[in-house]
Amino acid sequence: MKFLAIILLSLGLVLEASLTTIPFVFLILLCLMVILRENWLFAVAFVFGLLFDLLSFKTVGGTSAFLVLFLFLVLLYQSKFEITTRYFVLIASFVGSFLFLWLQGYTHWIIIQAVVSSLIAIGMFELLKRVAKNKFLISNS
Amino acid sequence: MQKRNFVSYFLVFFVLSLLIFGITKTGFLNPLDSFFKNIFSPVQALTYGAFNKLTGFGQSAEIKSLKAENLSLAKQLVDQNKLVGDNKALRDQFQTVSPKSPGLIPADVVGAPGFVPGLSTPETLILNRGASDGVKVGDAVVYQNNLVGEITQISSNLSSVTLLTNSSFLFTAKTLQTQAMGVVKGQGGGEVILDNVVLSDSLKKDDLVLTKGDVNAQNVGFPPDLTVGKIASVSKNPSDLFQKAEIQPLVDLSNLEKVFVVINY
Repeated sequence: MKFLAIILLSLGLVLEASLTTIPFVFLILLCLMVILRENWLFAVAFVFGLLFDLLSFKTVGGTSAFLVLFLFLVLLYQSKFEITTRYFVLIASFVGSFLFLWLQGYTHWIIIQAVVSSLIAIGMFELLKRVAKNKFLISNS
Repeated sequence: MQKRNFVSYFLVFFVLSLLIFGITKTGFLNPLDSFFKNIFSPVQALTYGAFNKLTGFGQSAEIKSLKAENLSLAKQLVDQNKLVGDNKALRDQFQTVSPKSPGLIPADVVGAPGFVPGLSTPETLILNRGASDGVKVGDAVVYQNNLVGEITQISSNLSSVTLLTNSSFLFTAKTLQTQAMGVVKGQGGGEVILDNVVLSDSLKKDDLVLTKGDVNAQNVGFPPDLTVGKIASVSKNPSDLFQKAEIQPLVDLSNLEKVFVVINY
């Protein structure tokens, strides 16, 4: 799963840095954290945040801080709510994408972009959930 | 996952991120930052180019060729409009009796440092002619038979014109009807005055102010009878030594695109 996460995040990073404003890295990290809930994702968020800042010529460290903080907030919610649901991913990805785009200085169409991001996040969440389930079944058999 | 466990991970990476962010902001990491950006920029350019090609993959060859043709036609239109403007300016200039055409070099205005339309007026202009075209410091710059300014700095291919409205601009002039002599002084902010006119001379509103002519033996300076502007108002006080007049230039100096340098009178 770690290998798949790194591949997906690398692809998202390249897309985000060169083509689109949709925050793919954030969405992938959110889905992975909701499904896996593992600590190594903080390290991955930190590293990919730094890489994103370097690739997009922004002040290094800002994106890392945002990603790490958002993942922490997601984990805080797990004690009160069930977070491995579509609704949670939908709301968290919408709020997170909106904040991320706003902090990056985008002002045009950020609500629409956040809506599109949350729809992408739902699709990604379903896909990764299945992959994680299959992995779990394989490793248990 | 234990809460305390993930909190410690969060704190470590969050503090580290903030630390890096703070250090980058202060500029301590600038060399490292630019080192990494130098490494990553070719990668980014490569991926951008690759994705651009991919996104253009579905376009038909006909659409691509039409887009290229459209760009070329737009460029031709701009070039043609410029040629029409140049042609008109040249025709106007060469129909002017003075200064004589053979001594003129047409030049395009390529810059006006410090000029913000609507906020300030130009004080200097940059022309695309320089020493290699025979332009010298002190040459007059005209538009038709109107004085625009004087060449004050030159490089091999460019020159700087101090406009007659510039506060450092000063030369002798006369009025057309009354032949009163005085000194034209730029005041900055688009204003020009005719000063040092003795009280016994007469200054009339709407009279034209012309250059007196101060070409030296090296053929540098202002030819006579170039129009400076017309008198907008006269200020005469019997207790003063001199009278002065406000001059309104006839050429809109902020709207010049082509001018002529008088290199040989």
